Amino acid sequence: MSSRTSSPDFPPLYAERPEWSDVVPIPQNDEDANPIAPIFYTPEYKDATDYFRGIVKTGEKSKRVLELTESIIRLNPAHYSAWQYRYQTLLSTSSSLSDELTLMDTYATEFLKTYQVWHHRRLLLTLLHQPPSSPSPSSPTPTTTTSPTHTPTTTPPLPLQAELTFITSALRTDAKNYHTWAYRQWVLSHFSRPELWSGEISFVESMLDEDVRNNSAWHHRFFVVFASGVREGDEDREEVRRRELAYTKEKIALAPNNGSAWNYLRGILTHTHTPFATQADFVLPYTLPYPSPSQTEPLDKDVDVKMTDEDKDTDKDEKNSSPENTVVDLENPRPEAGADLPSPLAIEFMADIYEERGGKEDVLSAVELWKSLRDEHDTIRKNYWEFRINDALHPSR
Amino acid sequence: MAEDPNFTLNKASHASHCLRCLRGLPGSFAEADTSRVAIGFYCLGALDILGLLSQKVNESVRQGYIDWIYNQQTASPLGTGFRPSPYSSVSTSASDSQQDDHLFDRPNLIMTYTALLSLAILRDDLTRVDRKGLVNLVRHSQQDDGSFSAFPGKGEADLRIVYTAFAICHMLDDWSSVNIDKAISFIRTCRTYEGGYGEVPFSEAQGGPTYCALASLHLLPAEYSSSATLSVKERRSTVRWLAQNQAKDGGFRGRTEKVADACYSFWCGASLRILGAANEVDEASNADFLNRCQFRTGGIAKTPNEVPDPYHTYLSLAALAMYPPKTENLTWSLPRLDPLLNATEETARWARDHLRISAIS
Ligand SMILES: [Zn+2]
Repeated sequence: MSSRTSSPDFPPLYAERPEWSDVVPIPQNDEDANPIAPIFYTPEYKDATDYFRGIVKTGEKSKRVLELTESIIRLNPAHYSAWQYRYQTLLSTSSSLSDELTLMDTYATEFLKTYQVWHHRRLLLTLLHQPPSSPSPSSPTPTTTTSPTHTPTTTPPLPLQAELTFITSALRTDAKNYHTWAYRQWVLSHFSRPELWSGEISFVESMLDEDVRNNSAWHHRFFVVFASGVREGDEDREEVRRRELAYTKEKIALAPNNGSAWNYLRGILTHTHTPFATQADFVLPYTLPYPSPSQTEPLDKDVDVKMTDEDKDTDKDEKNSSPENTVVDLENPRPEAGADLPSPLAIEFMADIYEERGGKEDVLSAVELWKSLRDEHDTIRKNYWEFRINDALHPSR
Repeated sequence: MAEDPNFTLNKASHASHCLRCLRGLPGSFAEADTSRVAIGFYCLGALDILGLLSQKVNESVRQGYIDWIYNQQTASPLGTGFRPSPYSSVSTSASDSQQDDHLFDRPNLIMTYTALLSLAILRDDLTRVDRKGLVNLVRHSQQDDGSFSAFPGKGEADLRIVYTAFAICHMLDDWSSVNIDKAISFIRTCRTYEGGYGEVPFSEAQGGPTYCALASLHLLPAEYSSSATLSVKERRSTVRWLAQNQAKDGGFRGRTEKVADACYSFWCGASLRILGAANEVDEASNADFLNRCQFRTGGIAKTPNEVPDPYHTYLSLAALAMYPPKTENLTWSLPRLDPLLNATEETARWARDHLRISAIS
């Protein structure tokens, strides 16, 4: 039936290859009168999967099975049975897992949206970097009847550092790929070696230099700095808080409407139990219609809520206009010229400061800001701002 | 606003899109091998919401679909459930022993949940479902950390699968197989500083897993409501994050600073509804976005001018059923949706009434 010529792009069908003639192919048994969403398979896929079922039936685990499963995975990277059978075959044929990992480098960029690609990689890495004392992998393995008889191959595995380098290059193809980031977080937390963590902050910064709105990178930063324990060199938490605030505010100055940076700012403050009000001086210029570089005078009396942790509960009228207000404040970078202002995210933040403060006047100030969001600056969320207004005015509701 | 003639939900053409997919997929869709039952659910679910199922699919074909779904019910020593399709089955006939089959032809929790809902959509009486086997499957899929893997035994686990396990327990009204406290604590570890949930611990907040987390917590039996309910602060920040995900073009995005995608109108919209914050959605601009995601020849795509698929078609319709635009145009009127089970209220009721373990004597 075949007029196909064999070429690297179109290798001959398994049915046409003499070295596979001993395998009895098993067609898919989908003979119902009304199958749901039957697939009109391509000849290549039907052929390969028929032979795969034939192999599964006999339980053969051999080098040629690696070729067969690779054919299937290339046609359907979500074929999880093929992945699983391939993994078991790698183990029982004592194949080089390092070679497999190298092969997977190309898969990860070609099929990076597929769960299985990353799961397989996880299994390989776990085995390759298994502590010598531990008899079996402690992390996710598929149910398997074959016990891992694999003995490490002569080539030592690449250091785990190489894995992070690989992930960095995979992120160049798709800088926000969810699986890739989750995999990086797994590598770091699963092996948790100080030398792996040490480069993460500068890695995140290079990602954010590329795209300051990459929320995956911001999230990763939070994971590294706050969510996964304390890193070497980060023991001084007060210093860490200062560093993170400074970094984030610098990025907000660069792009005042970047939700990722504002969320990170909220994240730092909440995580470190720092009142939002500590950021009032920083936030204020972003709530105003345009940046005015000359404005170093004390800020508009109506919206100035400069305060520290201590004066949180004092009345706004008694605030002392501190002389710091009149000097250029490196801790509070101002919006860049030409920024798109006011930033609705800044107005929201300022309203939260007022609400956090909680006095009657404060609540009314917050309501004014929410009204400006509802009616002018963020109308898509008008229902949400309306809810915030009602919630603040009638808290017992 | 003045009624725009282009503001119409093209029900008949969306039904055609789903019918075409039910009848068959081109060879380039080989990846569907591992999700045919789920694709069936999206197509049948869309027809259910459109109210066109019995009109467009005759009784014998509906029965045929029921039979096909039951043919995907697979027993294993670790429980019974549904597989995505016969793609990995090596039995050449039904009488064939399944003995050496189950390793590669295993039941899968995601497929089991979508199969059960599909059977309910088709108004099957669910008597052929192996309930005890289901309970067993759920038991053997829970991991040490409280999460669930798609397959029984040790395996990859995430919030999607926790949700499907919980939905199954909820429909069965039997939680005996689950360590609920551990599951709740797993869900909590997936929460992030943004107020949403990531798919696994440490991962980025995303609309899909956030729905799975919130729906799971609300599916639990009443006696767990105190440990499952979010604190006032948590709820606030989650509602805020969800509301911030409505983009200027009216649609919802799945993550901060990404573009809107039709499916998140469901994931974020249903999350807000579960939290009792449904009023905070701007349903007019959400409907306007989904209106523009409609494809000329039927089906709804993730963004305007993209190619449609059953997943985005179903989830867009489900979102519209929860958030119908206020309009004189009757094409937009759809039946009410149950946000916890992700089915029309009538179908959800059918599923609960017929699957409940105590319902069988
Ligand atoms: Zn989508």
